[in-house]
Amino acid sequence: MPALQGYKQLIVGIFTPNSSDGILPVIVPMKTPCGQICPHYLYTHAHRPETHRAEMNALTTKAPLTITMLPPSQQFFPTPNSRHPQRHPLLLPSISLCAWILLWNAVGFAQDESPDATVRDLERTARSIFRDHCLECHAQSVTEGGLRLDHREGLLSGGDSGKAIELGKSDASLLIARITASDSSRMPPNGKPLQVDQIEILRRFIDENAPWGDEPLADPRLNHWAWKNVPPKIDVPDIPPDTKATTPIDRFLVDAMNKQGITPLPHATREALIRRLNYDLLGTPPTPDEVDRFLNDDSYDAWERLVDQTLASPQYGERWARHWLDIAHYADTHGFERDQRRDHAWPYRDWVIDAFNSDLPFDTFLQHQIAGDVLQSPTDESTIASSFLAVGPWDFVGQIETPSPVIKRLARADDLDDIVTQVMTSVCGLTIHCARCHDHKLDPIRQSEYYSLTAIFSGVKRGDRVVSESQLQSIESKRQKIKTQKDQIDQELLQLTHGLSLADIVGGGNGFGTGKLGAGFDPNTGQVRAPSEKAGFLDGVVANRLNPTNSPWIDSVFVPNGYLPTGSADAPDTQVSNELKISTTGIVTTCIPPTDSKVWDAIRNGPVNSQFSTSLSDTECSPPGHSILALHANAGITFRLKHDELRKAFVNEQQPSDPPNPQSFVFTAKVGYFGQTPTAGADVHVLVDGNVVFKRLSLGRNDGLQDIQCELGPNNTFLTLIATDAGNGISHDQVCFIDASVAPLHAEKSDGKSSQDKKDRIDALRKNSDSLANDLKSLPEPKRVYGVKAETPTQTRRMHRGNPEDLREPVKPSSVSCVGPILSDIAILDEQSTDAQRRIALANWLTSAENPLPARVMVNRLWQHHFGKGLVATPSDFGLGGAMPSHPELLDWLAQQLQTSGWSIKRIHRMILLSDAYQRRSSGSNELAATTDNQNRLLWRQNPRRLDAESLRDAMLCVSGSLNRTMYGPGYRDFDYQEEYAPVYKHRVFENSDVFRRSIYRFVVRTTPHPFLTTLDCPNPATLTPVRNTTTTAIQSLATLNNAFVLQQSEQLENRIKREFGDNPEAQARHAIRLAFGRQTTDEEIASGAGLIQEAGLFQLCRILLNTNEFVYVD
Amino acid sequence: MQKTNTITSIASPSTSVRRDWLTRLGSGLGAIACSTLLHKHASGAWYSQEGKQGPEGKQGSEGKLGLHHAPKAKHVIEIFCPGGLSHVDTWDYKPELERLHGTPFDAELGKQTFAGVAGTHAKSFWPFQQRGQSGLWISDLFPQLSRCADDLAFIHSMQSKSALHGPAMFMMNSGFIQPGFPSMGSWVTYALGSETDNLPEFVVLPDTRGLPPGGTINWGAGFLPAVHQGTVMQTGGSQEVIRDLFPARPINPDDEEKGMKLLQRWNRQHASNRESDSLLEARIASFELAGKLQLSAPEAVNIGNETAATQSRYGLEDPDIGPFGKQCLLARRLVERGVRFVQIYCGAENTSQKAIRPNWDSHEDIVRDHGYWGRILDTGASALLEDLKARGLLESTLVICTSEFGRQPFMQGSQKGRDHNPGAFTAWLAGGGARGGMSYGSSDAIGFKAAEKPTYCYDLHATALHLLGIDHERLTFYHNGIERRLTDVHGHVIHELIA
Repeated sequence: MPALQGYKQLIVGIFTPNSSDGILPVIVPMKTPCGQICPHYLYTHAHRPETHRAEMNALTTKAPLTITMLPPSQQFFPTPNSRHPQRHPLLLPSISLCAWILLWNAVGFAQDESPDATVRDLERTARSIFRDHCLECHAQSVTEGGLRLDHREGLLSGGDSGKAIELGKSDASLLIARITASDSSRMPPNGKPLQVDQIEILRRFIDENAPWGDEPLADPRLNHWAWKNVPPKIDVPDIPPDTKATTPIDRFLVDAMNKQGITPLPHATREALIRRLNYDLLGTPPTPDEVDRFLNDDSYDAWERLVDQTLASPQYGERWARHWLDIAHYADTHGFERDQRRDHAWPYRDWVIDAFNSDLPFDTFLQHQIAGDVLQSPTDESTIASSFLAVGPWDFVGQIETPSPVIKRLARADDLDDIVTQVMTSVCGLTIHCARCHDHKLDPIRQSEYYSLTAIFSGVKRGDRVVSESQLQSIESKRQKIKTQKDQIDQELLQLTHGLSLADIVGGGNGFGTGKLGAGFDPNTGQVRAPSEKAGFLDGVVANRLNPTNSPWIDSVFVPNGYLPTGSADAPDTQVSNELKISTTGIVTTCIPPTDSKVWDAIRNGPVNSQFSTSLSDTECSPPGHSILALHANAGITFRLKHDELRKAFVNEQQPSDPPNPQSFVFTAKVGYFGQTPTAGADVHVLVDGNVVFKRLSLGRNDGLQDIQCELGPNNTFLTLIATDAGNGISHDQVCFIDASVAPLHAEKSDGKSSQDKKDRIDALRKNSDSLANDLKSLPEPKRVYGVKAETPTQTRRMHRGNPEDLREPVKPSSVSCVGPILSDIAILDEQSTDAQRRIALANWLTSAENPLPARVMVNRLWQHHFGKGLVATPSDFGLGGAMPSHPELLDWLAQQLQTSGWSIKRIHRMILLSDAYQRRSSGSNELAATTDNQNRLLWRQNPRRLDAESLRDAMLCVSGSLNRTMYGPGYRDFDYQEEYAPVYKHRVFENSDVFRRSIYRFVVRTTPHPFLTTLDCPNPATLTPVRNTTTTAIQSLATLNNAFVLQQSEQLENRIKREFGDNPEAQARHAIRLAFGRQTTDEEIASGAGLIQEAGLFQLCRILLNTNEFVYVD
Repeated sequence: MQKTNTITSIASPSTSVRRDWLTRLGSGLGAIACSTLLHKHASGAWYSQEGKQGPEGKQGSEGKLGLHHAPKAKHVIEIFCPGGLSHVDTWDYKPELERLHGTPFDAELGKQTFAGVAGTHAKSFWPFQQRGQSGLWISDLFPQLSRCADDLAFIHSMQSKSALHGPAMFMMNSGFIQPGFPSMGSWVTYALGSETDNLPEFVVLPDTRGLPPGGTINWGAGFLPAVHQGTVMQTGGSQEVIRDLFPARPINPDDEEKGMKLLQRWNRQHASNRESDSLLEARIASFELAGKLQLSAPEAVNIGNETAATQSRYGLEDPDIGPFGKQCLLARRLVERGVRFVQIYCGAENTSQKAIRPNWDSHEDIVRDHGYWGRILDTGASALLEDLKARGLLESTLVICTSEFGRQPFMQGSQKGRDHNPGAFTAWLAGGGARGGMSYGSSDAIGFKAAEKPTYCYDLHATALHLLGIDHERLTFYHNGIERRLTDVHGHVIHELIA
């Protein structure tokens, strides 16, 4: 076959492991823009052959080709050393990736032997040496020493040290002197010196008078379409007047279709349209009423108004935040081994929702996410926005826990890689992470540029922070003021009432403050536990064994359990024990409920290990001012009331007259549940001599603090405090008695004046103290967010092969040079630049008019979510490895619209939604189109789509009527949480409507992905996910059929139908189908549905409806 | 290789047995599937993905084994011992440690360890002996596995890039220390597909005490289609075998059957109104496959029909050994039934408790923790190897046993345990074309760092893939700018390990 003009062809067929339809031939022009066989060209297209199928078809029909089969590893490029002197690292590896290579009629491989060719070879080789070894410092963007080596003129005019070369005289050329120098002046300054043969080539190059054409030495990869600026003016194609094309978008698309002779499909039905629009914009189905309203709207602009109205819905932000969070890999836990919670990650998620809803200009949207916390005057919103940099995974063990500096450095390098990768792929579609270990293999991105970008973020650390320091300070100063007042009052109160502190006793003290904070007793053994001996679950627990202690005031401790094995075979473990011993004198009780006999940590003077909180109902209960006696259910403690000792204690401490010899005492405390569970936490019992004097069952966090006050008469000998787990396991059953004390009972009848005065004084003080406590309570919590904790940037050095232990030359903070010019505020950055300067410079660079990528990338993402596929099919890779745009002009036109319309995202949505293209039917016969454009690249029809995992869940909630539309705030948690070294999250189905919120509000756990949603292709937040996989598996069908959530929602739907539409099976079937499908029903469907209701029940019909293809697919 | 969609060629229940099963299952979904099973061949591929055909071998149930060359192994069983199994107390004999026992370790080097405190050199807590014809050294911790010495191929020069459980687990499973990359089981099944429609292609049997460090993403599919993620089968008994295998609340079998019939009828109607949309067809087929799974999964895990001798060999009656023994026995049953890749975990996530560690992470007390876990691994793994061999399955089943890293040749501070050692550890292969009775590579004289032929998981993975007929450099998937591989840009097939 003759070569096509200007090209020599090498056609290879790639038989990839995952292509089922066999051999896909791909054209690889011999003469790529660099004048060489460009391996990445082969590599790229070989793996996504559909991009070149048209060219293939055109070519293969012209002439039959001979086929030569080469084994995969065989080198078939000519003499790689001369043609590919240095920089084609992909040559071999990439080819060996392909399974088979068929060499079709390979022509023109022999090297051209003419003298011209030799000179050209010399030129080419010399240039590649300059490119590979010199341009990092001596090019247009960076001109070290004033020298540029990217064009002939630069060589001749030289730099600060004079001319680089003397034409024809290599020996006299400074360049040669420098590259062969053996001292510190040697160039290049880092890494190995040039090789002997390379130096020889440069000598020859100079001696041959530097044969270098006019064009400057530019990396041909710089010509890649995506880096080029969006043209200032893009003509919308003219199309024949008889062709329907309502909007400019349609003219681009129809123009392309006309060239192929393809006629697009007509608009879809209104029922299909409103359903499509709702799922696309809101992620939920329209209600039957909304469908009816649209069907009956006769006005000419019914669709337009529907689009506007839907765009204005607050649910729009909830849907579109999901897409952005996918590429930000947002989650509510750290990930890695110790996957701890991030309880304040959600404000960022809310910010994204708000940003979409308020149509925050896209440039601001980006700027605030990169540098919102370090703006000159940051707002709360902009600060929260910057959490974008922090929402990815983070390794606690590597960053904090390990003492090994080597491990820490690696963890930090991974951390920065995560940040840089996320920013550059999401905003620019640049696969920068490829350059972590070496220069990017496909795109013109140098390894040093990767490290320049990490330098931009070298001051960024992740962590919980207050959103606004000034807010924090103002709250704190108020708090301090109130607290000082209250402390004084409390001090006086303490002196006046002067009870014996039981927490202090537990801490090994005398009851008057000599105990150690944090000390306590092991409820399973009665042994003292030092504050340093923090424990988790205790081992070898023996329930209901009384363990005496060595404390004079504490009779015994125990781990209670109302279940006692009876030993009988027919009723094991079911009998509630009658009598449990709670004192060494043999006092028993029967009040203790069944427990799981597990216990966490000790009974302590202070919070237990890993206690969820020490504050409750906005009261901070930790000392000073308060005492905490903490029991992590299940635990019990019995105090000995030695009245003589008590009397002595108070007599000694007080004025002898006041009162001289108290007979009775009073036990006072507040008790609360300091674990995490809002409701149904723990059971609390207080007993005096075995009689219950206080009891609260299922005490949860929402129940706040409960007052306990009980009199201890002269004959009472034992006070017992018991906390049990209320049967829900002990994962966070942290019960604390606050300010538990025993004090003399100030009998009303004690009639001395001093006593009355004192009582009045106490009352007054209490009132004051309570009111101040209320003031404290009403202070707002400072807003917190998991986000950026900015630090002073540290020096960044290139890591050889990405190894943090192999640091090379320092790099300045900067960005990549292949995309437009590096703006001045990035160019002036240096090692001294502050974190703020660095990030602001990058934010400005990203959003400058000269940077075409963010606009292109974003409009492509919008397009992708409206059509199922982007104009560029690789939405986070616009580089040479990514796909080519199907409609490059349309992409640019949209990008230009975004840039020039105040960066309004909603405006782009609107343009897309009003197009014919968006409104087309998704199926219908069009044989020509189906054969020539089977993949629908030309968009002659709309693409049908399956609901993603979250939309399917939300749709079920919507249809069943149980959706809780509460917006914003902490995520719902549909798992049981267990505090552990590595926390345990167990997902399950809950019945309360708190968890029936939209899926965007889910508390996302990294290491334990949600089983139901994951089965439905919900991606793992460890991964940046620009496109979701859509798979169809048997495991999915089992999940949608059998999962407890689906059955629960089926039941909810059943109840709803019964409630709203009564008992008639036909009516039930009609409405159930209508709710699920959002359309009118046919008689046949109603009959089938009613038939099923009569035979198998309405529940079964509801469950089936939620499983139908019509429910899970959108036309 | 099954073409006729019977459940399996080995121990296949007869038709009537299957009908009994149905009755017991009480599931109409099963009935739908069963009618398919009995009367016609199901058409469906196990899965399909939008815009993309399944990998070769997915089409139909035949499965073309070996993408690039003739395979030696068809199946893989991987035994993963999370926490860090101490090579110097088990497989890697270090006489030099006996000499140095009690002497302090290099203080400077010792600082780089995870816990950062190096104590004195410590010899193995169990004596070593040479075993079998091949004379491999194995310590007395594994008396039963020692009998299999001539089937084991040790790699003594394994290393990891992380000393932390999470990243090192990810690395051994996926080749990357970051989370989010596809695990080896996902890659293998992505490449080779399934041998059976009736069971998932990649099954994970976690320790009954809980998930390993890093959680379920250890067997995640990363960016590969979700169908390739490991499917967890619970072996503890109280839970459902596979999540959502049957309705979460009781449903009358007749109701189920009627509902399913209507569902499929509506689905077909819906599809018939749309131009041939393969995804709609695929979802219709997936319900039939789901039915098959309902029949097959409970059968696969029903070990009641195993002989008493077999049950006893796996130590099922022992409360400590039994759960892992059951995992091993199930692995054999699953492989028999065509499951491509089975991963067994011998150990769970760390907890804060101070008793015996729930995995091999023996910081405080090697004798206590390795003593406990050693018995478990010894019984289960040796039973598995002998059982596979007796049934002629070992030839076609590659068994891999590994940990995420090893343990240090010195005590951790003043404790009786050892700290993490990513510098050297041992993994072994058996069956599936691996050359038994050999050692490859070595650690240094004390087992601190890999010395001869240092090896990362890349080489282990490359070798395993090679045995399965796959060239690791040609098994790729495009994701965010890179044609990703299990072996990243590394990996060499270790030909010495291949018989």
